[in-house]
Amino acid sequence: MTERLPVSMVVNGVPTVAEVEPRRSLVEFLREDLGLVGAHVGCEHGVCGTCTVLMNGESVRSCLMFTVQANGAEIQTVEGLAANGELHPLQEAFREKQGLQCGFCTPGMLLLALELLGENPHPTAAEVRQGIAGNLCRCTGYQFIIEAVLAAADRVPIVVGEPA
Amino acid sequence: MPAVREHPTDLKWIGKSIPRIEDPRLLRGRGGYIDDLVLPRMLHAAIVRSPHAHARIMGIDAAAARQLPGVVTVITGAEAAELCDPMPDFGPDPARHTWRCLAVEKVRNVGEGVAVVVAESRHIAEDACDLVEVTYEPLPAVVDPEAALAPDAPLVHEALGSNVAYTRKFDFGDVDADFAEAEVVVSDRLRWHRSGGQPLETVGAVAQYDPGTGMLTIWENSLSFTSYLFLLAMTLKVPANKLDVRAVPAGGSFGSKLWAVKAAAVAGMCAKATGRPVKFIEDRVDNLSNSDHCGSDRVYNVELAAMRDGTLRSLRIHVVDDYGAYMQFGVGHHGNALAQVTGPYRIGSISYELQAVVTNKCQQGAYRGFGSEVNNWMLERMVDLLARKLELDPVEIRRRNLLGKDEFPYFIPTGNVYDSGDYAEVLRKALELAGYDQWRAEQERARQEGRYLGIGLCSCQERSVFSATEFWFWFDEPAAPVTSMPESITLSVDATGGVSATLYSCAFWGNSPETMVAQLVAEQLDVDPTTVNVVYGGSNTGLPATGPGGSRFTVMIAGAIEGAVGKIKDKAFKIAAHLLEAAPEDLEWREGGVSVKGTPTSRKSLGEVAVMAHLFKHSLPDDIESGLEAGQVFDHPYTTMPSPDRSDLGVFYPFMGHACHIAVVEVDVETGAVEFLKYVAVHDCGTLVNPRSLEGHIVGGTAQGLGTALLEQFVYSDDGNLLTQSYFDYLLPSALEVPEVVIGHHETPSPYTPYGIKGGGEAGRMMAPAAIASAVEDALAPLGVRVHTLPATPERVLTWIEEAQGA
Amino acid sequence: MKPAPFSYHPASSVKEVLDLLTELGPEARVLAGGQSLVPMMNFRVAQPAHLVDINPVVELDYLQAEDGRLAIGARTRQSALERSSAVAAQAPLLVEAVGHQAFPTVRHRGTVGGSLAHADPAAELSAAVLAMDGELVVTGPDGSRTVPALEFFQGPFETVVAPQELLTEIRVEAWPAGTGHAFLEFARAYHGFAVVGVAALVHLDGGQIARAAVSLCGVAGTPVRAAAAEERLVGRTPTPETLEEAAVAAADGLDPASDVQGSGAYRRKLARVFVRRALRLAVERANGGQS
Repeated sequence: MTERLPVSMVVNGVPTVAEVEPRRSLVEFLREDLGLVGAHVGCEHGVCGTCTVLMNGESVRSCLMFTVQANGAEIQTVEGLAANGELHPLQEAFREKQGLQCGFCTPGMLLLALELLGENPHPTAAEVRQGIAGNLCRCTGYQFIIEAVLAAADRVPIVVGEPA
Repeated sequence: MPAVREHPTDLKWIGKSIPRIEDPRLLRGRGGYIDDLVLPRMLHAAIVRSPHAHARIMGIDAAAARQLPGVVTVITGAEAAELCDPMPDFGPDPARHTWRCLAVEKVRNVGEGVAVVVAESRHIAEDACDLVEVTYEPLPAVVDPEAALAPDAPLVHEALGSNVAYTRKFDFGDVDADFAEAEVVVSDRLRWHRSGGQPLETVGAVAQYDPGTGMLTIWENSLSFTSYLFLLAMTLKVPANKLDVRAVPAGGSFGSKLWAVKAAAVAGMCAKATGRPVKFIEDRVDNLSNSDHCGSDRVYNVELAAMRDGTLRSLRIHVVDDYGAYMQFGVGHHGNALAQVTGPYRIGSISYELQAVVTNKCQQGAYRGFGSEVNNWMLERMVDLLARKLELDPVEIRRRNLLGKDEFPYFIPTGNVYDSGDYAEVLRKALELAGYDQWRAEQERARQEGRYLGIGLCSCQERSVFSATEFWFWFDEPAAPVTSMPESITLSVDATGGVSATLYSCAFWGNSPETMVAQLVAEQLDVDPTTVNVVYGGSNTGLPATGPGGSRFTVMIAGAIEGAVGKIKDKAFKIAAHLLEAAPEDLEWREGGVSVKGTPTSRKSLGEVAVMAHLFKHSLPDDIESGLEAGQVFDHPYTTMPSPDRSDLGVFYPFMGHACHIAVVEVDVETGAVEFLKYVAVHDCGTLVNPRSLEGHIVGGTAQGLGTALLEQFVYSDDGNLLTQSYFDYLLPSALEVPEVVIGHHETPSPYTPYGIKGGGEAGRMMAPAAIASAVEDALAPLGVRVHTLPATPERVLTWIEEAQGA
Repeated sequence: MKPAPFSYHPASSVKEVLDLLTELGPEARVLAGGQSLVPMMNFRVAQPAHLVDINPVVELDYLQAEDGRLAIGARTRQSALERSSAVAAQAPLLVEAVGHQAFPTVRHRGTVGGSLAHADPAAELSAAVLAMDGELVVTGPDGSRTVPALEFFQGPFETVVAPQELLTEIRVEAWPAGTGHAFLEFARAYHGFAVVGVAALVHLDGGQIARAAVSLCGVAGTPVRAAAAEERLVGRTPTPETLEEAAVAAADGLDPASDVQGSGAYRRKLARVFVRRALRLAVERANGGQS
């Protein structure tokens, strides 16, 4: 059981090879082995969404995936959003609209919003509200998150990967 | 009474919704939360939790656990009691309701820790937890607060001799006379079940002990009350000056990380025991079952006395509060209630009888409102009840009783003061924003169609900036009548003129301390707020600080900043006077520097002053020391002591915000489900520093109030089993449960605080339960339903409809 | 909330899965989407010694529609089912039901087969497949057998799939033109489990109900068919009274357990309300109303 299995994946565009114990979750691997601490652990039963990352362009709960299952996958985390040190337009919109308070749900929300805008580039407020409803936020009451996503809708240039 | 302040009007940064200073790093996923912290050779702790609500611990066999590869140590409760003293306890009788970081001899709630395992990974620690064999002798559990009062109820703490940890009746004003003169009295029994802050990040700590220096360093996401940390040092058996607690940003708190010292105690104990750094982070089950931060859990029996024209006269309040297994904050939650017990109304007398009981549940802690939000709800429920009885419109009855804006400062019967307010205007704005009259017309139409639409409104207080007295005025002879709850800051200007601000408590919970500090410093020093660097200091070398809570932080830090800036300006003026060869009184602060009045070109920038201060001591007058920094400890600016007989509790929560929430709902009478059609919140928190930031708290707080009103409850079975141990069962509101909140502002500055700022962090949660209960009741008024219990779950609502119809 | 240790075995074919299940014995469990199993493992209520990961078994990822017969590979993602135009045409009830399961992110990983094999009594897909008289193909070392949905679910989290077997395909047949479908549920919050869910199919012919199916989730240890309700519908005109009668009949036969989300009595009340509402919507759609 303490055997380690090889995995290889691409994380934020960087090929990554490692050996992990089967029961290490993807969120643990990202945080502890790769130092990508943006994905958070909130509930470990798939409800809160603070662990949300994109796998092959689709949002997934990284607390419910074992790292070994991500073998061969392309993972994007929040750290992959800002390019050249500049905030991604989505992040910039969150900043302008104060779409965050404690920031704990924010990385998950950003990636979920990215996916949402990729599928629906010009959503209505109701569609955004529906689209983010799978991720919880305890601070904001969601309103300014929705405003941020709407503000970003006109600015997000490219969808990262196609939904599988 | 402090002096009335004159507030500057031409403000540059205060009142501006600048983007937050905190956000760029949070958006990048670099929040620096406790679980992000990794130290070399760090170990991980996991707690063995009790499956029983009440049981004697007959024995713990940790042999198998200790032998598991990767396990470094297992510490049982009995062993922990050798390593640690009891937890710091502000309760009425700590010797008799003794609280330890791990249970000894018996467990008192499901989830209470009985042992801790420390291992190379959390995985292994949990594997080992499964191998720890605990032999329990289950005891009958006491779960219902009223059942706890029974003389033959099982005792949670035998030493207490009863489950009533505290009881007292206070009378303020002449209640009997007011009731005798009253023309109508309404009474009701109201039940507010416990919910909790439940931030998405749990409580955690990382501790490191250096035997060479004797220094115990603990990082935690909950630093507060730094002057009281010597109590934690005592618990951990280290000298107070060898304990350094360091603030780590928290992923939300809402009170649940206020003085959340148990994680720090566990981590600290394990670090000392193992000689290696130890991380202890609650997982969600730890947090739901044993985080010590549930909200109030009250049974009210209330009578409201009034005149036939709706004029309120008096209140008799009897409240049983279920504190769970321990009493860490005593009955401070009722101090919060007493700060604004009569609401925004002119009520001349009140009687407040409290029975604080212990039961076999997780103990209460702090949750946004800290007990005053429950009083808001109770009072508004009674006012609504009275309005219905008198057939008065709920708006009209409030108008008749709201304090007028010229009545301030207004002392309520308990002795606390409301500093300022304009409640009628807040109500007016809310009614306008909500389109109240149109909704009443819509309600009529809906009723014709057989639909149940309701409009609820509440006028509630939001007190801010607590005094320490509320924790001890409950006793005629308190053991520790403490009076210090300061906030502090150190401002320093480096040789380039760059400004740094150091905070000394865990100010960051998702509020905006760095932004507040930056805007306030920018306003006073006339610098760009984005250039102000805000850092967090540790407790060991820091100034005393209390941290966020009771909506106090912005007001208190504003006071600290004012003082520190004043000191820096004094020194800057002295230096500039020397450099400019002018008298200090001929100088003024202008555009981020010092210039001669009337000759703006004759000036020294802050940087020019600073470089001289840092590097050129001998070019300056002898009495000027090197450097340009100042610390300021700011104590509560308006606290007065309670009278010895406690007929006057003194001023303890003077800066009084106010809000009116209006909720429009439709109730599905076949399911009991509540849908929101409109939600309006108008708040008056005095002068706003960053309006957008406050709005965020209003919406977020409203969402939490909605959770408390409709969704959230820690549900215990009759034998004390916690049935809500996951987010499958403890339901937090998602984006589809929370309506859009239409926000309005009104600003009635406080006469006593810098810029007239009042606290607003607890915002929506203190009002929403009242507005929502009112709306549901209004919707179901034709069916005769009374909303007397929260959460008003769909099943409860359906039951109430059936009962009302059956009756 | 870390899972107990286990050994991990990815498989890329059905044969490989079966070989592994036989080799590893009853302590092995199939890992599909993991959206239900992994939480149970994190809570340590499930502690399988071995996991056989069927995510690489792409041969089970298919949606085949032919002549009104729909065959769904067990490893098909719920989100794929949701987006499939073939399923929308042939079995819109399944689309509507799966759209209520958790939320999109979970459905990216959750599989159709995994959900059915997990057999949560509150699962929407189970009720929908049951309403459609679906057939489940269970494959073992000795070959495949086809199990009617009515026999597939045995109890809470219990199906006829034996430890060394794998659910490989789900088959449903489209209802004829003139059919309306509805899946409605009552949950206390968006992410809450269904307290009661109802799947309804109504086929109208000449203004009369020629065929009807009603099934419920969240009201018993397995999804249930409301046969008593169906009897009161077939051959009758879908008047409000008829639908109400069926709803009452559906609720009458139930004795749901109580839990934190709702008491048995409350669930029974909700069952009646939602059967009526689902039937009304299905009839509306059958008449070409809402889609």
